[in-house]
Amino acid sequence: MPPSSDPFYAGLGQAVRIGTELLAALIVGGGLGWLADTYLFASSPWGMVIGLVVGAMAGVRNAYRFAQRWSTDGTK
Amino acid sequence: MENPLHPFELHNFIQFSLFGLDLSINKAVVMMWIVVGLVAWLLVSAGRQRRLVPNKLQSLGELLVEFIRGIILDTMGQEGMRFFPLIATLFLFILFCNLLGLIPGTYTVTSQIVVTAVFAVTVYGLSLVMGLLLHGVKFIPGILVPPGTPWWLIPLMVPIEFVSQVARPVSLAVRLFANMTAGHTILGVLFGLAISGGLLIGWLPFAFTIAMNGLEVGIAFIQAYIFTVLTCVYLGDAFHLHGSEGHAP
Repeated sequence: MPPSSDPFYAGLGQAVRIGTELLAALIVGGGLGWLADTYLFASSPWGMVIGLVVGAMAGVRNAYRFAQRWSTDGTK
Repeated sequence: MENPLHPFELHNFIQFSLFGLDLSINKAVVMMWIVVGLVAWLLVSAGRQRRLVPNKLQSLGELLVEFIRGIILDTMGQEGMRFFPLIATLFLFILFCNLLGLIPGTYTVTSQIVVTAVFAVTVYGLSLVMGLLLHGVKFIPGILVPPGTPWWLIPLMVPIEFVSQVARPVSLAVRLFANMTAGHTILGVLFGLAISGGLLIGWLPFAFTIAMNGLEVGIAFIQAYIFTVLTCVYLGDAFHLHGSEGHAP
């Protein structure tokens, strides 16, 4: 099967994963901030600003965690 | 040139609603039935004979089952085998949706974010329920505060971990949906160029279409594989708390 055997496809899969990991955390962080701005407090735009910053941190953390797991897999 | 997003439009064959829910039959629903029927037929007829020396169909079935079993054992260990039916169903359904969608004239069900989001939310919800059942209430602070965090970092780590937890189902759903939609849009654009280019130059985008189709077959496998692996990883995290930091044996 391509994913496990072919290194090209395995590498492609890893690359695609890291990209979406960063993006999804940013979307969630910004989205939660926007929701807090719009429906909870009338604090626009600060909720979204903080949310985006936290989302970026979470995205980098997710990507880092994934890369860590990957490196332990590689040395096995 | 034809709109490359045209293949994603859905038109109802049969209008049908029940208790205010729109249950109309459209192309995507029919494709899902076909996929379910095909997978069921394949595995049932592969497993019916149980020969010692397998024929072609049985070896295909054994290959698929062994592959999924390998993923589960690698990521979750032996205790993950109780999720085998769920994970095998997810993998085979997504794989066959992706592959059958490449046949011209059919519909790629996984290019609808509704479908992928339902899978992702189900998997993530299941991992939360499993964690709560296994570890009790201390599961919630367990996933929000990573081990070894100094106390003064806790106010910062809790929002970050919360966002990264919520991002899990989002990334799971968006990855599959975006890859399928993007791939088919590229195929649509290239094919539109081939049609409008005519014989003089149109062969060039047409050749690219063929090459892209080959790549898309690979992507179909990869995306089904990644979705399955991540399902196992998220469920495994619920089993051994903080298992994501180290590596499962």
